[in-house]
Amino acid sequence: MTSSTSTPATVSTSAATGTAGSPSRLAEDTAQGRTTIAASVVQKIAGIAAREISGVHSMGGGLSRTFGALRERIPGGGTGASNVAGVQVEVGEKQAAIDLDIVVEYGASIVDLARAVRRNVITAVERMTGLEVIEVNIAVNDIHLPDEDDSGSGASATPPTTPAPSRVE
Amino acid sequence: MTVPLEPGPRAEDVLAQAVADVVAAHPAVVRLDGGILGAVVTYLPGRRLVGVRVDTDPAVAVEVAVVLYLGTPIPEVVAELRARVGRVVGDRPVDVTVSDVVAAAPT
Repeated sequence: MTSSTSTPATVSTSAATGTAGSPSRLAEDTAQGRTTIAASVVQKIAGIAAREISGVHSMGGGLSRTFGALRERIPGGGTGASNVAGVQVEVGEKQAAIDLDIVVEYGASIVDLARAVRRNVITAVERMTGLEVIEVNIAVNDIHLPDEDDSGSGASATPPTTPAPSRVE
Repeated sequence: MTVPLEPGPRAEDVLAQAVADVVAAHPAVVRLDGGILGAVVTYLPGRRLVGVRVDTDPAVAVEVAVVLYLGTPIPEVVAELRARVGRVVGDRPVDVTVSDVVAAAPT
């Protein structure tokens, strides 16, 4: 990934190429056959893993949401745009690089949040696909103010309550 | 000279159906899929069998394309699928494509 020479270092994420449909080959070319994991699989796993972190309100900037909606209409371009919005992946033979666009909840420490997201995404993708994740770039595009949905956004606000007894047997 | 008209189904088609059955029976498989470009298809009389392709040449790999549930690591599932298919097709290589994943349904 970093072996490319002439690209400027900062903006080199090369997200311009829509990586949605490009198949990625897991380098398992044995005599028993090849295993191919589609890039959309990596995309979906990364999206789910990022959303699992509380404090991530949603994913995607305006632009990538638009592209996500567009991509949904392309056959084979990946389904379920809600899962892949804000996730771009670049997948090679054994490695994957992931770019995330996230919207955070107001009140979350963005640095800690990004670290948690990165760790969770790396763990999930490496465990689920066997690919090595070399980088996870996180762009925080927006912050969500908790004025419309007041669900007690503080993590410590909700005491551990016992679940209500079931009304039905 | 004369090409005999075979009345029964071809061996590859029977094999393809058997492969489809064992793959679909795996608990981590949501469904068979056409693969990245939808090319993993066996054309049977009257219907299409999506997700399996068995070439007439036994040296060519059997192709299988699936959509999986998330939850089990994909390499593990693929290895199990390859073993299952191998029991049906014998020594032929098996190419497995994971074209999509679905979040596991809460049980």
